[in-house]
Amino acid sequence: MIELLPQQLVNGLALGSSYALIALGLTLVFGVLQIPNFPHGELYMLGASFTYVLVGYGVNFWLAVPIASLGVVLVGILLDQVGYRRIDRGGNLSLMIAALAMSTVLQQVATLLWGAEPHTTRTPFTGILRTPYFSIGIYQIVIFAAALLCWLFVWLVLHRSRLGLAIRAMAQNRTAALLMGIELTWVRIATFAIGALIGGIAGSLLGAAFPIYPTMGLNPVLKAFVILVIGGVGNLWGAIVGGFLLGILEILVAGYISSQLQDIGTFAILVVVLIIRPNGLFGRAEVLR
Amino acid sequence: MKRLLATAAIAALLAGGSTVQAEELVLGEIHPITGPASFYGLVMSQTLKMNAEQANAAGGIDIGGKKYQISIDTGDDQAQATKGVAAFRKLLADNVHFVIGPLASAVAPAIKPVIDARPDVLQIIDGSIADGVVNGKNSFRVQADADTYNDAAIDYLKSKGIKSSAILTDRGHQGFRMSEQRMMKSLKNAGVNIAAQEYFQMGDTDFSAQITKLAASQSEALILRGYPGEGALITKQAQQLGYKGQIVWEMGAPPSTVMKNIPATQMDGVVNCIPRMMADYIRLNVPNAIKVADAFHARYGKDAGENAAFSNDAFWILTTAMQKAGGVEPGKVAAVLKDLKVTDVPNLIIQYKPQENGLLFKNGQAHPPSACQIWHGENWASLPGDHLDLTTKN
Repeated sequence: MIELLPQQLVNGLALGSSYALIALGLTLVFGVLQIPNFPHGELYMLGASFTYVLVGYGVNFWLAVPIASLGVVLVGILLDQVGYRRIDRGGNLSLMIAALAMSTVLQQVATLLWGAEPHTTRTPFTGILRTPYFSIGIYQIVIFAAALLCWLFVWLVLHRSRLGLAIRAMAQNRTAALLMGIELTWVRIATFAIGALIGGIAGSLLGAAFPIYPTMGLNPVLKAFVILVIGGVGNLWGAIVGGFLLGILEILVAGYISSQLQDIGTFAILVVVLIIRPNGLFGRAEVLR
Repeated sequence: MKRLLATAAIAALLAGGSTVQAEELVLGEIHPITGPASFYGLVMSQTLKMNAEQANAAGGIDIGGKKYQISIDTGDDQAQATKGVAAFRKLLADNVHFVIGPLASAVAPAIKPVIDARPDVLQIIDGSIADGVVNGKNSFRVQADADTYNDAAIDYLKSKGIKSSAILTDRGHQGFRMSEQRMMKSLKNAGVNIAAQEYFQMGDTDFSAQITKLAASQSEALILRGYPGEGALITKQAQQLGYKGQIVWEMGAPPSTVMKNIPATQMDGVVNCIPRMMADYIRLNVPNAIKVADAFHARYGKDAGENAAFSNDAFWILTTAMQKAGGVEPGKVAAVLKDLKVTDVPNLIIQYKPQENGLLFKNGQAHPPSACQIWHGENWASLPGDHLDLTTKN
């Protein structure tokens, strides 16, 4: 069984890269605005669906990905302005209910538009990289690279731009940031836009590997929330490492313990991290005075 | 005002007296209309509605000298047990006494206790292959049981002289899980070694951990038991991870669904062993199948899915039993079903194996024949030497 380890680790990295890609956008919105953005799963679904429609109209896949992702950005901003902004001071429960409601609304709209039946965008690369130790699809390598590039993009925006400075300030202390003259409206629009962009890219790319249907975002977004807890809410590096960690763990549980316990492994690690490091592997404890 | 009311009352009386109003008979159905199994359920629901429309257009169904207009009350179970129970209870609340469905093997066992406790409700299962869901009193099944699926695959392995097989099963599929031990026994009796056994879940998209283990077992065959969305993804990932053996599916798999999940060329040579389904009967020129397929295409502008045959048959079996019972009292209709012969029912697509004395059901279970097909080009094709005996009115 140990001879299968290189292949299982590669399988875990491939699975983890899809988790990381979805978790990245979610952690940004949750970390900055403290909004449990459940419809992030639907933004992911819309990215996949928009790409499917565009490719169906003959648009080249690699052109369809950015167009679809920009479409998702618009939906993301709309989501915030219509669903969250007006109840921002209503408390966490209101935000959570609004998030769940919008998640359902987007699923229903997608069902009306494209039906409930699963569909798939044709994978642009079908090649396989075979080595003596492992095999991996070329497209999985693309998704792996996309996860790292998206992380780099968000990191550059947050750490090398004035907008990023404002977003980080808002994440650290909203009241202080407002007192310093940072405009909340634009920060939240930018945060939602970046989060939705990453969600859209994730959907566009992964929709070419997995079936697309209105409720396809439910399971990934649950996993993404687990990753947030593992990596630390709002921590980009935590989302990436947490995604890979979860992917590898799930594969190792299925590969070496039992495939019937794959999901139990996910939630076991969640409980362990919550006990040992309640703020996540990369999160920092807050001191309230 | 009084004059207006009087005029309205007279008009209503005249209208009532001038035409004979057909009574409405509501048939309930439980299928996954949304969710990942909707590609099965939507077509089944549409088939039932089309049959009802056709019957109504012909003046309704004559039961005991009364004409009934059929309407279909749809419950969407999303192939999930909890939603299935809720949908079923909603049908009962709507005062529905006849239910066709469910499709999902997770749903049928969940609603069984409710069915058992309600002798005033009659169910014909057109999809689920779970064990123990048919009681032969007020629940009947036109779909095959899980053993029919398993035996078809085992017969194929035997015919090809395959001596070892790995098995990958949808762990949420009650029919396949419940029949697991019997299948293992049958495989051993057939001289087939079980090289490895793994599980997945409907909605999963990554199967690499399981396939890596199965591929390492170097089995001559890999049997996939579940639904075609996952089946296609597993097949694709198995090839990617270098699995070389014969892949054998056990699942109703419309080509349109298969090709949404895997390029057609990667499916070449995959064998599917299942009860014969709609496309099979069309391919084998069964007249009723062709008639329903044409009508379905004209009505909905698309091809009838694989399970349309089961829903079509459930509709005609139920309405024929009502006609023979001369009423719509569930107990009487159930009594007729027990004595119904394969040749009694018009419009059947599936060529059921007649039971003793030509009966359609034995202990509530009908016996559709099974066969294996091989993927070729963009569709399933019959294996050489495949033939079918017509057993029903066609």
